[in-house]
Amino acid sequence: MTAIAQYQGSTRWWHSRAARKFMRHNLALLGVAMIVALTLACIVAPYLLPYDSLYIDLRARFAPPMTGGHILGADPLGRDVAARLFEAGRISLLVGFSAMLLSTFVGTIVGVISGYRGGWLGAALMRLVDGFLAFPSIFLLLALAAALKPSPIMVTVIIAITSWMEVARIVDAEVRSLREREFVQAGRMLGLSGAHIMFREILPNAMGPIIVAATLTVARAILLEAYISFLGYGIQPPLPSWGNMLHGAQQYLGSAPWLAIVPGVAITIAVTSFNFIGDGLRDALDVRDGHS
Amino acid sequence: MRSFLINRLSQSLVLLVIVSIIGFGVLNLIPGGPLAQYGLDPGMTQDDMARLTEQLGLNRPIWVQYFEWAGGLLQGDWGHSFRDGAPVLNVIGRHIVATLLLMGSSTAVAIAIGTWIGIRGATHRYSVFDYTATIGAMVALSIPTFWFGLIGIYVFSLRLSWFPAGNMYTIGDGSVLDVLHHLVMPSIVLALVHIAIWSRYMRSATLEAINQDFVKTARAKGLSERRVLIKHVVGNALLPMITLAGMQLPSVLTGALVTETVFTWPGMGRLFLDSLGYSDYPVVMGLLMFSAILVILGNLIADFIIAIVDPRIRLA
Amino acid sequence: MTKITTKAASYSRRDAMRLLAAGGVLGLTAPHLLGKPAFAQTPPSAPTGRVIVGLSQEPTVFHPLMAKIEVDDGVHFSIFDALFRITPEGVIVPNLATEVPSLENGGISEDGLNWRVRLRDDVKWHDGTPFTAEDVKFTLELIVNPDFRAWRTTGHSQVRDLTVVSPTEITWRMEEPFAPYMSFLTETFIVPKHVLEGEADPNATAFAQAPIGTGAFKWGQRVPGDHLELVANPDYFGEGPYIEQLVFKYIPDLTVFYSQFESGDVDLTGQVYITPDRYQDALKLPDRTITMVPKSSFESFYLNLGRPQFQDLAVRQALFAAIDRKAIIESLYYNVPTPTETFMPRQSYYYNPNLPVQEYNLERAAQILDEAGWLPGADGVRAKDGVRLAFTNSTTSGDPLREQVQQFLQQTFGSIGIEMAIENLPSAVMWGDFWQQSQFDSVIVGSTWVIGADPDVTNRLHSGSSNAKGGRGSNNAQYANAEVDALLEEGARTYDPEARREIYFRVQELVRNDLPYLPLFQNVSIVGQKSGIAGFVSNANTRTESWNAAAWYWQA
Repeated sequence: MTAIAQYQGSTRWWHSRAARKFMRHNLALLGVAMIVALTLACIVAPYLLPYDSLYIDLRARFAPPMTGGHILGADPLGRDVAARLFEAGRISLLVGFSAMLLSTFVGTIVGVISGYRGGWLGAALMRLVDGFLAFPSIFLLLALAAALKPSPIMVTVIIAITSWMEVARIVDAEVRSLREREFVQAGRMLGLSGAHIMFREILPNAMGPIIVAATLTVARAILLEAYISFLGYGIQPPLPSWGNMLHGAQQYLGSAPWLAIVPGVAITIAVTSFNFIGDGLRDALDVRDGHS
Repeated sequence: MRSFLINRLSQSLVLLVIVSIIGFGVLNLIPGGPLAQYGLDPGMTQDDMARLTEQLGLNRPIWVQYFEWAGGLLQGDWGHSFRDGAPVLNVIGRHIVATLLLMGSSTAVAIAIGTWIGIRGATHRYSVFDYTATIGAMVALSIPTFWFGLIGIYVFSLRLSWFPAGNMYTIGDGSVLDVLHHLVMPSIVLALVHIAIWSRYMRSATLEAINQDFVKTARAKGLSERRVLIKHVVGNALLPMITLAGMQLPSVLTGALVTETVFTWPGMGRLFLDSLGYSDYPVVMGLLMFSAILVILGNLIADFIIAIVDPRIRLA
Repeated sequence: MTKITTKAASYSRRDAMRLLAAGGVLGLTAPHLLGKPAFAQTPPSAPTGRVIVGLSQEPTVFHPLMAKIEVDDGVHFSIFDALFRITPEGVIVPNLATEVPSLENGGISEDGLNWRVRLRDDVKWHDGTPFTAEDVKFTLELIVNPDFRAWRTTGHSQVRDLTVVSPTEITWRMEEPFAPYMSFLTETFIVPKHVLEGEADPNATAFAQAPIGTGAFKWGQRVPGDHLELVANPDYFGEGPYIEQLVFKYIPDLTVFYSQFESGDVDLTGQVYITPDRYQDALKLPDRTITMVPKSSFESFYLNLGRPQFQDLAVRQALFAAIDRKAIIESLYYNVPTPTETFMPRQSYYYNPNLPVQEYNLERAAQILDEAGWLPGADGVRAKDGVRLAFTNSTTSGDPLREQVQQFLQQTFGSIGIEMAIENLPSAVMWGDFWQQSQFDSVIVGSTWVIGADPDVTNRLHSGSSNAKGGRGSNNAQYANAEVDALLEEGARTYDPEARREIYFRVQELVRNDLPYLPLFQNVSIVGQKSGIAGFVSNANTRTESWNAAAWYWQA
């Protein structure tokens, strides 16, 4: 645990430099801007739109976009797609963010224990990580979704269960290397220069990779939520999520394509933004990436 | 080398055991079970249900069921499908060709396009092309595969009628051309993500190679840019590429699963969803083990190649 | 909008007689065995052409006696034959048998216990071996073989003393009189003894992967996950077949399903047929015939009477009054299904047309609740004696139309202080213990209650059929009404259609008053076919559209 504290303390020295690198990364900034805009829209828009996301009006079924005050059209129950989109955004972003927190937390704990304690426990935990990674994640996801009662919290947990391994691996490796310093030798055997190893392998602390992995996990979690809800296993109606808005949309692809297009675009924007941010953070924090 | 192999193989076996336990456990966590499909049958009584439960051995403790299944597996018996009674390996075997075809064609597309974009991006660094490719790759990684498939169906099948919306071939036709026609959309949809990954990888691999001394030397010797690139860069990157392909296997497989469901492709993904829907445990477990073996094998090959290429690496 | 013409309550004494004595004399009582309309053109002399039937589920069980689901039936009807066949009118006619046993022709003894079935002598299995009474005996014995994973055993388990009198005659004794058995036998396909008797494990036979039957079509080839191909059996003993190939194509996605019908890749849409939202579209397709086919299944808002909030009849009445069926049927279902008040299919001889008609009246619903003492609490939800009028509703996830109904009802119920939460489950979970052991509050379910044309619903309504209360059936509403119990017991023992009609009329009346479930509508499937296909006749008494594929042909 002291090791962690020590390396957290060290965040100060790279902080400014990393910040500057991040700011230079235009795409990352764009990503931040889009996420902020999207989040704000999801918070504010439901109050500004003329319709409630749950208001059913059978007369307005399948109203095309820009008719009857439905900016983005209406769904098969005559509910306003725009209102649902932003309401859904709250859920999807929240699920994505919470799943990230949970999986990062679990991954960090597992990684720290296995990396710090090592021995049979470390080996066992890492084999467990490998075991989870050897599944096609969709399998685990669907099986779990079928097993557990679907609610936003459950969906968050399920996604976290299938996403914690990456962070665990990263943290394990970092902690292990810092503890044993065998990594130094391995790096030397790989032919890296001493200075390289000193500055690029040992000094960086675990936080950088974790932050990057966490950002990418948000993107992944949003995609996973979308997929399981799309299949009908995830967030249940009437609560909208970007995924379950797509759920019914497939059937109306020919007659009401906006039902499929609108939420999909929202998902893509959100996920792209997080990926942009993650990429920017990687450039800024993960000093081992040598191609910048 | 031998001890490395033995070590890795034994690790893989342990992995398979872990995978099977997690899989079996999760499957049995799901309430309902294989008899749920008869729940609405007006002629099936609870007596019939109880009888079937016993005949299928579902009334025994989970661990007994697990050991029986695992014991069978060790002897090469993967069990029989609850649905049609066929041996699980046959059931999987009947679907694997479609999946391999899809995975193969999309990997080919991904490597071809990805390599081209990657090398061009590296040689024209910071050009408009490079930036577009970078951003494009990022967006491609962010588009939900199933949604991309839906939009593809909407545009190219429902609106333009260029490609069929699903299935692998037309009944009564089934010629190579017909299959290719059906293959275009699913393989491109599945390839999208991997084009992005490949192009990023090829870009950095090329950049690395360009800066290496021997390429600089070669160029200094007056060899043309193109020849240098092809000979050294691609040649050099080939083994790592195979490694990457090995490591990409799980994601290609998962992607194939999703793509197959959108395009009603008669492969393992479709089989998986259907079998899960009917709680056909033996088939689901079979698919799970099969894909785990494939994934582990992919990683193993990747490790193996790395070990051959770089003898300094000895993964203990 | 096309209306369905039904024969509701228009059954005459003659019809009753026909139901009773059908098949006694083949030529007289069964004018069209396969339901082929009299005005049809003449089919080709030799089988020609191919019909591709689209299915949204994949047939995978080809051993017709093994546990199976609806979609497998279409294949079984084409490859195999049962002793009897049931016509669209609900008349049971001989198939492998030469007559339908009845009290009149002596095929069934006066006490209803001893049965005698005479068989055709001109039937051959697809491998050329002649079909005999031994095959029938083998089949009925296999079904009750404790090691065999049989489908339904109801009725079969009461058969005793199976005796082969001659190659064309078989007799048995029933443990108890069981009138519905005849209907069970129309869905019991006979399998070849000579192929199956040597098999060590009856559940893993080569036969199950490439079946041999007596039917109009022989096993062709199967591409799992894609399609199944059957070929004409030129030696078929009955009418047809007129097409050379019968193909069942598996298309799980509804958008793809419809687009293939549109493009002509699929000649006829089988299960799940055309979805209601595409009905109007489908009508506009050139060279396609779209038929509305009433099904025997009905959609209901099914309640678990074990829950305290549903034990009060007032609550059930109020819920029923709060359902805007008109809006559901007309808007959400595009006016395709027909409203119903009962479980009995409208086309059935036993359908009671005199039941009170539900009226949508929100104020009335609120009033009923007020009067019964269910008053809104601080949270706006009604409650009585500490029981909140709140419950969950479930249906299989992945059914957009039902999910729309749910959300629509959720809003209406909410407006009168009834809280309904939606909790949908995948079908593999939903219809397991959750359903069978009454673990739900309420579900929206479309289900068939009758077997063939038989009105028996003991399994669904008898108080001894609730598994949650130690019973053995599928009365998962846990409905209990002593009079209904007595009537059902009497009905199963009674062979006279007219007497049974009275019994089941009364059952429907009692159930309509008790409201263990809230009937929404009778399902109607939209079958689309290329106009060139002749001989297609729907039959709600079977579970498949392909029950008479032998009679299909392409018009020249």
